[in-house]
Amino acid sequence: MRTIAWTICFALVVGLGAAAARDNPQAATADSLFREAKLLVFDKDWRAALDKIDELTDRFPSSPLAGQALFYKGECLSGLGGREREALRAYKSYIQLEDAKPSLVEESEGAIVDLAFGLFEEGSGSVLPEIMSRLDHPNKVVRYYAAYKLSLVSDKKAAAKAAPVLSRIVETEKDAELLDRARIALLRVSPESLKSAEDRKPRTVTTARVLRIRVREGGKKEPAFSLNIPFALADLALGALDEGDKAALRKKGYDIGKIMSELTKSKGGLLRIAGNDGSIIEIWID
Amino acid sequence: MDKHKDMPPERRAEPDAIERLLRETEAVRSEIREAAASVDWDALSGLIADRAMAADRERRRAGAAPRRAAWLAALRMRPVLAGLAAGLVLGAAVMYFVLRAPGGGAGRDEGYHASGEFLDRAELEMARRNAVDYLEKSQYMLREVFESPDEGPAAPAALRSERARSLLQKKRYLNSQLERFQMAKAKAICDQIEMLFRELAQIDDDLPAAELGRIRDYIEERQLLLKINLVKKELQSGV
Repeated sequence: MRTIAWTICFALVVGLGAAAARDNPQAATADSLFREAKLLVFDKDWRAALDKIDELTDRFPSSPLAGQALFYKGECLSGLGGREREALRAYKSYIQLEDAKPSLVEESEGAIVDLAFGLFEEGSGSVLPEIMSRLDHPNKVVRYYAAYKLSLVSDKKAAAKAAPVLSRIVETEKDAELLDRARIALLRVSPESLKSAEDRKPRTVTTARVLRIRVREGGKKEPAFSLNIPFALADLALGALDEGDKAALRKKGYDIGKIMSELTKSKGGLLRIAGNDGSIIEIWID
Repeated sequence: MDKHKDMPPERRAEPDAIERLLRETEAVRSEIREAAASVDWDALSGLIADRAMAADRERRRAGAAPRRAAWLAALRMRPVLAGLAAGLVLGAAVMYFVLRAPGGGAGRDEGYHASGEFLDRAELEMARRNAVDYLEKSQYMLREVFESPDEGPAAPAALRSERARSLLQKKRYLNSQLERFQMAKAKAICDQIEMLFRELAQIDDDLPAAELGRIRDYIEERQLLLKINLVKKELQSGV
């Protein structure tokens, strides 16, 4: 009886050991290939990283890391250039995986939008639905990014389709950076939608007020530069003034901080600054 | 007229209104001229006077004698009537053109507008500010995770992962801008940090010491914190 028990124990130990010996090298190798590939991706050595990933998927197709490697394959193919359609397929395959990581899914969705944008701008009209379909995505991170990117396409008719999502960002979003991006994108594709969205917001010190800037060259009646934008973008707009105009303001002792402070204090007053060359900069809010 | 710009705001309202009215009148003047040119003014006064006379003749038929004095008066007033009628026609034309285009100029003045060139500059300014912000936040994050090797990371793994995801989202928006405005140096350093955040965003548990050590070595070897500082200073000097 004791002999039988020892035999069973021995067999179990040998069997488990053999199984461990069979599994561990594979796991270690798949793991090490994956790590090496990621390190190469860190250093943007796309070709070498892609070779490692291909080796991993060829040698260990059933490893869970083979699935995860699809995302990095997409990264490598995007980085290499000229293989955007393959990259698009890799990302799309990755987001279909059951064990795909949420953070990488979000990254993949963004990458798909970027790739589709690039291909569309190069003349591949068939990829536009990749962006359009994401305007209704349940994840707002994806939805917002698709709208932002769509607003940048050179086909104005297609770009205008981003307006409803961008308007929604203006109306509901609290993140200042996202808000400013949405406002500028709307000014580009549909200024009237921006006006409506701002008007629908509860009126506060900064909403539903318009910043107006006119720059008139010496002796000319028509302004050389004219701008009406939400007051919320005032700081950004003043920072983005033409270098010559900014220099004229500095000569007169004005910087952005001082202008903002005077505009806020004056409540509707006109700030009129005359340059030495006869030009006049008028800034007011109402 | 320009003197009123120096007046206090409460006294400026009236001169401002007059100036605006003059500007708007200027805008419709050309259309009025076109309309006026299509009218034969020499014939018009005569025509109006003839019709006025015809109406008078009708009334005279009804009772000629008692109205003789009035008829004579109307005859004497003929040029005045013609002028009055012409004035009415001109006034109606002005009203038509003013009402037909309610604020062609004013509409543009009320709504938002900005040139594409200006929006590009605004986006460049935004890219610069957001890149500085991204680099600052990245510095905090990297220091917090990697600068206390003996004590372990200060933030819980879930919070760290969430912050990393938020920075990844910021980076995606930045990508478009950094590429468009050819901010290559900022793009390169932001890309390197992005890879680290991608790793951090995936790790829900506390980082094992070995993993932490590996990432710390990566940051030190590539002198990421120093590079972040240099690029940040460069971007800030553009203020």
